[in-house]
Amino acid sequence: MYAFLTGPMLWLSFAIFVIGSAWRVVKYVRGLDWQLDRVPYGYYRELAVKGALKSIFHWLTPYGSRSWRVKPLYAAAFFLLHVGLVLVPLFLFAHVMLVSERFGISWPTLPAGLADTLTVLAIAAGAFILLRRFALPEVRIITTAHDLWIMAISLAPLVTGFVAAHQGGEGSGWLLAHIITGEIWLIAIPFTKLSHVVLFFCSRAQIGVDFGVKRGGQRGRGIVW
Amino acid sequence: MPEGIYCNKTPITTEEALKALLSDTRGKKYYEEMEQLEVDREKLWATVQKTFKSRMRTWLDVCARCGLCADSCFLYLVNDRDPEQVPSYKIHSTLGEIVKRKGDVDNAFMRHAMEVAWSRCTCCNRCAMYCPHGIDIGIMMGYLRGLLYSQGFVPWELKIGAGMHRVYRAQMDVTTEDWVETCEWMAEEQQDDWPGLEIPVDKEDADIMYTCNAREPKHYPEDLAEAAILFHIAGENWTVPSEGWEQTSLSMFAGDWEACKLQVENVYAAIERLRPKRVIGTECGHAHRATVIEGPYWAGRPDGQPPAPYIHYVQWVAEALRTGKLKIDPTKRIKQPVTYQDSCNYIRNWGLAETAREILSYLVEPGYLREMTPNKEHNYCCGGGGGFNGIGKFRPQRNKALLTKRDQILSTGAKLVIAPCHNCWDAIRDLEEEYEIGIDWSFLKPLLIKMVIVPEHLKPKDEE
Repeated sequence: MYAFLTGPMLWLSFAIFVIGSAWRVVKYVRGLDWQLDRVPYGYYRELAVKGALKSIFHWLTPYGSRSWRVKPLYAAAFFLLHVGLVLVPLFLFAHVMLVSERFGISWPTLPAGLADTLTVLAIAAGAFILLRRFALPEVRIITTAHDLWIMAISLAPLVTGFVAAHQGGEGSGWLLAHIITGEIWLIAIPFTKLSHVVLFFCSRAQIGVDFGVKRGGQRGRGIVW
Repeated sequence: MPEGIYCNKTPITTEEALKALLSDTRGKKYYEEMEQLEVDREKLWATVQKTFKSRMRTWLDVCARCGLCADSCFLYLVNDRDPEQVPSYKIHSTLGEIVKRKGDVDNAFMRHAMEVAWSRCTCCNRCAMYCPHGIDIGIMMGYLRGLLYSQGFVPWELKIGAGMHRVYRAQMDVTTEDWVETCEWMAEEQQDDWPGLEIPVDKEDADIMYTCNAREPKHYPEDLAEAAILFHIAGENWTVPSEGWEQTSLSMFAGDWEACKLQVENVYAAIERLRPKRVIGTECGHAHRATVIEGPYWAGRPDGQPPAPYIHYVQWVAEALRTGKLKIDPTKRIKQPVTYQDSCNYIRNWGLAETAREILSYLVEPGYLREMTPNKEHNYCCGGGGGFNGIGKFRPQRNKALLTKRDQILSTGAKLVIAPCHNCWDAIRDLEEEYEIGIDWSFLKPLLIKMVIVPEHLKPKDEE
């Protein structure tokens, strides 16, 4: 079981994640239509690239956009959740060790204490975002089951991984649960709203081009996100 | 009853049809018939499949339902934070449902969607600046309006407005003759004060072709005279086209994309015919949006540019002040608290915030400018944009929406609001009428004429 989950199943999960995500990007780009979107794709390359990068940059920078600044608490939860989900797994000692053992390559890792703290903060941020969904009428009204599911799918590997690291060894059920939930998470990315892993960049780049080229990016101080 | 006599899926294309619809005062019968209007589900779904592509599809798909758009929407805020006014909710419960149900929606749904599309969104695009994914609900509302229009679910005034563009290539029944006569009349009227002033019609290869809003020749032709006076003072070599002078597009508000194309092609044909170096539009936001920002795409121009450089009136004013073509008498500068209404269409959606401030630096005595909060690209809609001002059925909602701007203006303490946009100007006039807060409001032209230094050689001979 363990061998299967860390062998073929892991490869399959990564393959689905990578190919599926690439397919989402290809489908997105092919579906862009200058006339229907009313954006001059292909023209003013320099402005377009500048607009796209600016649009992504301001939103990936904590408090880099006005929207993040007017919602400081939500912004904090957003960044903590994403740091825990994206950066921590990539630089976790246990993960890097696995890669190193199998492929002989490795890279710097996070100190254990920091990784733990970031994981706990990410789980707390996820819980905060869930609570906020029900506490605020303006968020409750737009919440769907899908939103709850993807939060559950995303938090599960964090919770199980944290417990596995602190309680179990290889024989414990927590590690298996961590691997399974991690794989579910990877597989879910292309097929659910988690596709924003790649579509965030597409969508932000697109609106960046729209505002950067067509809606005033070349005038005055440009678009102010 | 699938199709009504007044309310149906057929666009207005003749003068008779237009008059017939106008005869139904306030659309009383029109809206009665709408309750029976059948939805052509197959056509609706076919249209969605053809035109609803990855950009908008992704917007609906990845919306994280985080609610950050809520506070960005002035209609949500002004309606006591009603959750049904959250932009995300407004689009998912209308367009989102049409897509989810593959077009299988009924009459009641469509009438509700019409109310949402035209009374709960002014397409100001402010939410696009606050969404982490860059989702622009205003653009999707515009698209939804197109779907609704094609099925006959459109407010009465906008069905008429789109029909006007189809019949007269103007938002009002101003014919080419009416227009040319108005130009002649206005030029003549000014001769005593402005000897030699002209409104040259159809002059080829001029430096400037001027386009305007049909309401100007129809209801306040003095605006045209003021434009002429300012060009005259600035010594510009300018012209107006006899055809293709109307820059606005109620068809854009209505979602009648075919009429949008017809209208803007008429203006572009004038540019191609007269070959001006550039075109300058009047003090109107949506006219600029329609003819300069969106128009090129309707007309099939993939580079997104009109046939000649096309600028907004504030750009010309800023340039004329900067280059000294227009000189302001320093003693006549505005010396009372004054604020500026940033129009969504050319400020947020075309980047002229700094240009407008440049103008203010010439017109307003230092210390008297009171900026609104928020302002510039982040300013709130006047409350009447996107067609909201003109829809009788939604007047109570519109009047409520005006409260945002009223309170914004009140907290500046300004007594004068400079509003170089017809829609904003109207909304501010209406809010003064409705709530009487004791303010004045103005376009730039009359202010400039009061303050500008008139060169000696342009003054009438008998004047000292």
